[in-house]
Amino acid sequence: MPSIEDKAPVLQIRHISKRFDTTQALDDVSLDLFPGEIHALMGENGAGKSTLIKIMTGVYHPDEGEMLLDGEPIHVGNSVEAQAYGIAAIYQEPMVYPDLNVAENIFITHRTHGLLVNWRKMYKDAESILAKLDVKLDVRMPARGLTLAAQQTIEIAKAISLNVRVLIMDEPTASLSAHEVEQLFELTRSLRDQGVSVLFISHRMEEVFEIADRVTIFRDGRWISTLPRKEFTRERAIHDMVGRKIEEFFAKSAGERGELLMSVRGLNKENVFADINFDVYRGEVLGFAGLVGSRRTDVGLALFGVEPADSGEIILGKRAEKIRSPEEALGKGIAYMTEDRRQIGLTMTMSLTSNISLPMLRQYLSRFGLVQTQREEATAEQYRERLSIRTPSIQQPVGMLSGGNQQKVMLSKWLNTRPKILILDEPTRGIDVGAKAEVHHIINDLTAQGLGIILISSDMPEIMAMSDRIMVMREGRQMGIFTREEATQEIILTAAMGQNESVEEAA
Amino acid sequence: MMEQLKRYFRPEQLRELSLVFLIVLIFLFFGSQIQGYFSPRIFNRVTSDVAIIAVVAIGETLVLLTRNYDLSVGSIVGITAFTVGKQLTNYPDMIPIVALLLAIGLGVAMGLLNGLVIAYGRVPSLVATLGTMAIYRSALVAYPGNKIVVTNDLPEWVLELGRMQLFTIGEFNIRPVVAGGLVMFIIFQLVIAYLPYGRRLYAIGSNPEAARIGGLPSSQIVLVAYIICGAMAGLAGFMFMVRYGDLTVTGALGMEMQVIAAAVVGGVSTNGGSGTMIGALLGALMINLLQQSLLRWLVISDFWVNALLGLLILIAVTIDAVIINRLRDIWTQRGLEIKSVEEKKVVKERESHVA
Amino acid sequence: MLHRLERLKSWEGLLLFILILVILFNAFSTPHYLTVQNQINLFQLHIEKIIVALIMTFIIINAEIDLSVGSVMGLAGCVMAFMFERDVPFVVCLLAGLLTGIVTGAINGFMVSYVGLSSLIVTLAGLIGYRGVAHVLLENRSVGNYPEWFDRLGQQPLIGPFPLAMIIFFVLLIIALVILQWSGAGRYVFVIGNNREVARYSGVNVRRVKMALFIVSGFIAAFAGLLLAARLGSMRGDTAQGTELEAITMAVLGGVSIFGGTGSLFGVLLSILIILNLRNGMGLLNVTGETQTGVIGALLILSVLGPNMWQGVRDTWNRRRRVHRLHVGEDQKGG
Repeated sequence: MPSIEDKAPVLQIRHISKRFDTTQALDDVSLDLFPGEIHALMGENGAGKSTLIKIMTGVYHPDEGEMLLDGEPIHVGNSVEAQAYGIAAIYQEPMVYPDLNVAENIFITHRTHGLLVNWRKMYKDAESILAKLDVKLDVRMPARGLTLAAQQTIEIAKAISLNVRVLIMDEPTASLSAHEVEQLFELTRSLRDQGVSVLFISHRMEEVFEIADRVTIFRDGRWISTLPRKEFTRERAIHDMVGRKIEEFFAKSAGERGELLMSVRGLNKENVFADINFDVYRGEVLGFAGLVGSRRTDVGLALFGVEPADSGEIILGKRAEKIRSPEEALGKGIAYMTEDRRQIGLTMTMSLTSNISLPMLRQYLSRFGLVQTQREEATAEQYRERLSIRTPSIQQPVGMLSGGNQQKVMLSKWLNTRPKILILDEPTRGIDVGAKAEVHHIINDLTAQGLGIILISSDMPEIMAMSDRIMVMREGRQMGIFTREEATQEIILTAAMGQNESVEEAA
Repeated sequence: MMEQLKRYFRPEQLRELSLVFLIVLIFLFFGSQIQGYFSPRIFNRVTSDVAIIAVVAIGETLVLLTRNYDLSVGSIVGITAFTVGKQLTNYPDMIPIVALLLAIGLGVAMGLLNGLVIAYGRVPSLVATLGTMAIYRSALVAYPGNKIVVTNDLPEWVLELGRMQLFTIGEFNIRPVVAGGLVMFIIFQLVIAYLPYGRRLYAIGSNPEAARIGGLPSSQIVLVAYIICGAMAGLAGFMFMVRYGDLTVTGALGMEMQVIAAAVVGGVSTNGGSGTMIGALLGALMINLLQQSLLRWLVISDFWVNALLGLLILIAVTIDAVIINRLRDIWTQRGLEIKSVEEKKVVKERESHVA
Repeated sequence: MLHRLERLKSWEGLLLFILILVILFNAFSTPHYLTVQNQINLFQLHIEKIIVALIMTFIIINAEIDLSVGSVMGLAGCVMAFMFERDVPFVVCLLAGLLTGIVTGAINGFMVSYVGLSSLIVTLAGLIGYRGVAHVLLENRSVGNYPEWFDRLGQQPLIGPFPLAMIIFFVLLIIALVILQWSGAGRYVFVIGNNREVARYSGVNVRRVKMALFIVSGFIAAFAGLLLAARLGSMRGDTAQGTELEAITMAVLGGVSIFGGTGSLFGVLLSILIILNLRNGMGLLNVTGETQTGVIGALLILSVLGPNMWQGVRDTWNRRRRVHRLHVGEDQKGG
């Protein structure tokens, strides 16, 4: 069978380096992309993946090195030039025009032939491109109401309409549901079969195993390895990404399960989730497992009062409580740490101190309502030490810290509210392995101190290692609750993907 | 059948239809209350006033579509009306076309300044046009010499233009000012529906970030929008002069508020990306009709007009926020049709359990 | 990010510099400039506007806007005048005026916080509507002849050479400074303006804060309206038109970002002083009020345009430098 490398590469990246102030984002990176392949690019955060993408799409310019398209050197000055060369990128968050319809979204940036917009032709052309991708979408629909997956499809269709030759997909599956991911993979394979070179960036090993033809790994801005799928193993991947053999996950020490902190019965939110039942105990980690789109975050938001449920009971102590706002939730000892630390979790321009004290600001006010900054700062110092937050000073704007340290600041913020129940939503997403281990350590300490923790995570190994019990959700429905002993990766995955209908609670 | 209906009656169009409905209601209601309501005189009054506001609203809508504002249009109308009026008073032999071009040219110049500051100087449009509104108005007020223009001093053709009857339908005649407004409306409705430039306005307002990254020449497009807005305001200034004759340096003071109100009531979103000229025209028509009708309705004093206008705007946007968005969500729920049999099974399963 | 804070400090430095320039220029071109009386006149002529500018600062930092303040000023005065015409006890009239501000503020706040409308549109509707109601009340009339103590408070010095309004301004300034920079409420205003979602997820009651801000804005506007009535000695339907634009100008010129999240009252104070002194100087040179407004408008645009262009120049310069260094580097490598 002819190998991919038999053809000439469509895009060659040769010895590209890029430096930002003190960081060497890319260091002498070379990579060949062939037509008709799905090439996965993996690496930790800070490995240089997004810098490479930005250089390929013209957002950044390399300090050294060059790119060759069909053997000829090219200079990509901006995204328009990239488009002209046939290089396009789609990201986790689709960039569509919500008020324009599907067809227009696809064609709006095209050079126009002729004076007037030919709507009929545009609709026809849009439909034919979508047919090529084997997708059915009503091209007259405004993009606004469409699902994230459909919007991504629009972006891909747009790329096809511009005769894309190299399509970069940056973590495209992060917000998709199970069958949407499958659809996307179908689409991707179809693109590959049509000769497009797909550069597929993902954190998720399972996906890479499923879809990639070849896998390249970056670390610290350098190219480490490129392997065909056959030779690619999980151990090799971790080894290359991390550069050292480490124990992947810190397993939670089995602790003493204490009293019942919270009981949730029959929690419903129309069109979001239905009939959710579980208990949270002191000293225990209850994991929420499931694929992205299973609506676990929504349950968390309901418990925290940001998006209250429509019906059902949340029983704290002996009483059924109504939680209608974060204020109320905090008052009842429930805290929620978001997965989106940049947009929702922290105010990037404000200091650590201000961020940490924010939910409890009222406690730091003097008699006249003035902020007692000394006490605030003392608190921030406390957490800096306790969680080993690396920062030049606590007055530093949080935006300047690394991802892992930002995560710790967020954690401090919520720990400071002295919660009884702490809901952590993807607490180790997007942080490096070292910081990940630290967070796991902290979770362990917290349960030892008597907190009840709900751990929402899409990282199957993490959730299996850290949870005492695991509740699996799929598309807003509860598929089962398993104890540590019962849970294997197969059982969890099966439940997460829906073959299991039972809603038995394993006590 | 439902699908067909959904396709042709987007929530925005529903909104425009209901505006038409409301206008007819208002028309009939006041017709029954006010003597001589259906007279040519009132028709002329209303249509002439609406034409002026509508022309400015056309330009303002272009700007609003891109998620920007132009608060200086009132000052531009005032300046162009007054300046052209003054020029005609001093040089009564000026060819009419030249006078018209002067008005539009002045508008273009002022729109150009707005556009440069906003699109290239990156000054937020609210701040920028707040500033130019003041600058332009002060330039007008600082006009040396006699600060009024009197109808009698204007050349005959100006007054003729104001009185002339272009078309007659039964008892009602369409005046040039009104005809001009209609022509502009038709032209620009076509522009935003069928011209690539017009569609790009929507794109920029809908997602400025995507437009920038996607390679649309946003700065250029916005600059042109402001230039056209200025030109329209200049044209409206000319029409203003023809309509009113007597001009002062405070002419069209506050018009920007009326124009924005007309657009907003007509369904143009202040967040950009949606709205049509049809809507803006209907909004202008409804507001002006209400104003004129209330003025003549003896039950309440004419001072209630503005108070009710404020209330009207509030009602319009509240309805938009509460109802139209709800409708929009319902309307777009089934965008992606599921392909495979297996998935259809999954969806059916989901639907039978949840809610 | 740190840049933003630094930028603010350097902005205030620039303002201070400009202020000194303006004062020097005025001092040299007109003889009576540095007299106490003139300085007081300088403030008094626009005292109500600058009082409103203080609360406008809070609102803009909170990422909202209140275009209705001028109309609320007028309406409050007209409500007071309307009742006064009908021989209602004067104190009750005053209270009614203040209540008007609270009611309009509550309406604005409710629409923005609870219905979720954009504050631009809501207060635009308010600008038109409240002014309309003011006209309904007073139609074309001008109402004056207020009790002697009222006029005296409005026009005569109260403590030393300072009239009541000036004293109130400085008191409010200090209170505002303390609240904005040092109190919890001020911190909330900043955070919400910076990132509304973060505030919400952190347990801040965003709705309540916004509602409170709009009510306070209405109240202060009403209060300013009554002060204006006292100073002018009379009230008309169109009194205080255009105040909102001036107040916004003072805030934005003072370094408050129109997008919310940053700003300081110190900067606003400087910009107020610059605008007042500029107006005063121009007035003494016989420049009309309208032209003054035009100059202020130009200043507003330049205050944003200038830094943007400066940033653009710096970016281009940096880019050129980096390219140059690259070439130099290549030469040195012998390549």
